[in-house]
Amino acid sequence: MDDKAQLKLQAYLDGELPEGEARELATGLAQDQEAAALLAELRQTRDAIAGSEQVRALPESREFYWSKIQRAIERAEAPAPQPAGVSGWVGALRRFLVPVTGLALLVVAGFIATRGTGEPTSSLETAVSDPGALVYRDYSAGATFVWLSYPAEDDNAKQDDEALFD
Amino acid sequence: MVLAGGAVQRAQAGEEMKIQAILVWGTDEPKPPEGKNYKPLDEQIKKRLRALKWKNYFEVKRIDFTASTGAPKKVAVSDKCELDVQALGNSKIEVVLYGKGKEATRVKGVLPKNEILVPCGDAPNETAWLLVLKRMD
Repeated sequence: MDDKAQLKLQAYLDGELPEGEARELATGLAQDQEAAALLAELRQTRDAIAGSEQVRALPESREFYWSKIQRAIERAEAPAPQPAGVSGWVGALRRFLVPVTGLALLVVAGFIATRGTGEPTSSLETAVSDPGALVYRDYSAGATFVWLSYPAEDDNAKQDDEALFD
Repeated sequence: MVLAGGAVQRAQAGEEMKIQAILVWGTDEPKPPEGKNYKPLDEQIKKRLRALKWKNYFEVKRIDFTASTGAPKKVAVSDKCELDVQALGNSKIEVVLYGKGKEATRVKGVLPKNEILVPCGDAPNETAWLLVLKRMD
């Protein structure tokens, strides 16, 4: 029995199959001993767990609990109302200044990045001619590792332990 | 402003970097091979190798040199391995590794102060060789 058939049996047991499919499956069980045995086992397991499951009661009803969450999401998504007393031209000026200021900051940042302000803080621009190399940066240790494929494996086979270091 | 910028450019062009190269053997063995008096690697540096898997690290050789933006500096790490190290300005260096006289690989990277750049690779019997390059200035 494949995974799909097993999942269908589980869905049948949980009452999650559409009526037509459930009827069809029930009819098929009479001919399929393997399926019938699995269904019996699943039913047994479900009953065993149900008996020992600890009931957790919410302090409020399920519907109320989830409606609170829904209201909180709606509040978070609602746009902030305009403060009273802000005239049209102030709002228009603000809408113009914010992107312009952002653009100006980007230009300044780009200028600083290209000129350099002193000690670079990242060694991410590590280039290696070895196509099999792997570069790994440990930021907290301030270390950049460049794992090379040198020496090649066949070279290793011809060397003893000390040959690389002598 | 223009003169100051020019001065900065000239300083970068003539940049020198004091570097320490430590050839290290990484292994799970508790001791170096018989007959080799490799000493255990300095703890401060060993801590920075924590990303790697080996339990023990032994210092095989330590060499101090100065790399400049002029000609590459040749450094003999062992009989079979040597380096050409050149400063490229703005804390960048290029390291060319030679094995048995032939260029094995080339690594170009940034080496800021207080950081290490570690070309490394497999060595026989599941050990590793590491070349810890550390800025000293």
